[in-house]
Amino acid sequence: MTMLGRQIAIGPTDNTSDQRTPRKRLHLIPHKARESFVPVIPARTAIRQNEWDLTRISPERPRAEGSPIEVSGTLRNENGTPLRNALVEIWNANHHGRYRHIEDHSGLKLDENFFGMGRVLVDGDGNYRFWTISPGAYLARPDIGRWRPKHIHLSVSGGSARIITQMYFPGEPNNEKDPMAILMGDAFERNIGKPYETPDQDVDQGFRFDIIVGGRNAVFFE
Amino acid sequence: MTQEQQKNALAPTNEDTCGPYFPICFRDEGLEDLTRIDPGVVAGASGKHVILQGKVLDRHGNLANGIVIEFWQANSRGIYHTPANLGHPDIDPWFDGYGRQRSATGEYSFRTIMPGVARGRAPNITVTIFSDGINRIVTQVFFPNQAANDADPLLLSLDREDRARLTARPDGRTGDGAEVYVLDIVMAGDNETPFFDDLAS
Repeated sequence: MTMLGRQIAIGPTDNTSDQRTPRKRLHLIPHKARESFVPVIPARTAIRQNEWDLTRISPERPRAEGSPIEVSGTLRNENGTPLRNALVEIWNANHHGRYRHIEDHSGLKLDENFFGMGRVLVDGDGNYRFWTISPGAYLARPDIGRWRPKHIHLSVSGGSARIITQMYFPGEPNNEKDPMAILMGDAFERNIGKPYETPDQDVDQGFRFDIIVGGRNAVFFE
Repeated sequence: MTQEQQKNALAPTNEDTCGPYFPICFRDEGLEDLTRIDPGVVAGASGKHVILQGKVLDRHGNLANGIVIEFWQANSRGIYHTPANLGHPDIDPWFDGYGRQRSATGEYSFRTIMPGVARGRAPNITVTIFSDGINRIVTQVFFPNQAANDADPLLLSLDREDRARLTARPDGRTGDGAEVYVLDIVMAGDNETPFFDDLAS
């Protein structure tokens, strides 16, 4: 009985990927054990007021440096059914490419008006929306001059979904050399936000990022 | 999925690496100790308290720093907290069975209750790891000397060495009334932990 799943690829020029990617093929889950791998995640969250607006630390504070943008989309499964009431955790670098994270030792400039971490709940129709500052790209591998393109991290959890992903930006020069983008191949296109105009909103531009939770990330269907 | 559904299915968004900077401030104490529902609340899960702990190691034997590690398990009577089971007589209202921690060092320690025997399965805890450099990897941890281990379909699908790699060992200690079990997880290389494909198959 061969119980082998996929061979995970290693991201080119990505040291951590080389250190941490399993070398053996994954084992296929026997049918009788499949159900046990399917978590149901309790919708637990205590969201601060105005946490959806990452462009300011609080409503009365000045705007952070850089270009304010909106990101919005719908969370659905592969059949198109909206996934409701999930938690979306968001984190992105500031305008200069720096995270306000204790383990970011890049030395890039912090912005006193940018926190860069926020949480929103998906509504009853599967929609989410937040504002943030368009993140800076940063030099991830100074030794070989490889940049991490502009990106926003999104972690979706709740009832029927568990996925950690990233939204990228169209036309960015560093997109094609990104190790994760290379591993995605043509499917990378799905992870690029689609620009839209925001004439009535206090932001420069919007990006639509619909998240389809499927395959190994569709953990439970209601 | 039927063939028709397959044809019309929407293309899934790619999962991506968690990266090194998952916000530590998103931690939720209620998800770090599953024996209690929330800090300071007089309510707790039924069952024998256990601590599962160990190191997550990379290909060079170094600790995999900055990981997010998640847990999913049945309650002490073997019932998972799923929507379908909410009315089950053996459901434990004080036990969700889902935990999450963010480890700066790569060491983890998770306080929970010993999972019961779920239908057809040996007691086990599903462990998911997110970190820089990888997308999610998933495995299951088992406990020694459980009668149900001999008939567990997942353990039976593995050779003896891999079964041992997924079996936590009691280290004789107790921590605040909980028995301590240890399992190191090796992400890559020699002595690599078996990981499982989470594709619905």
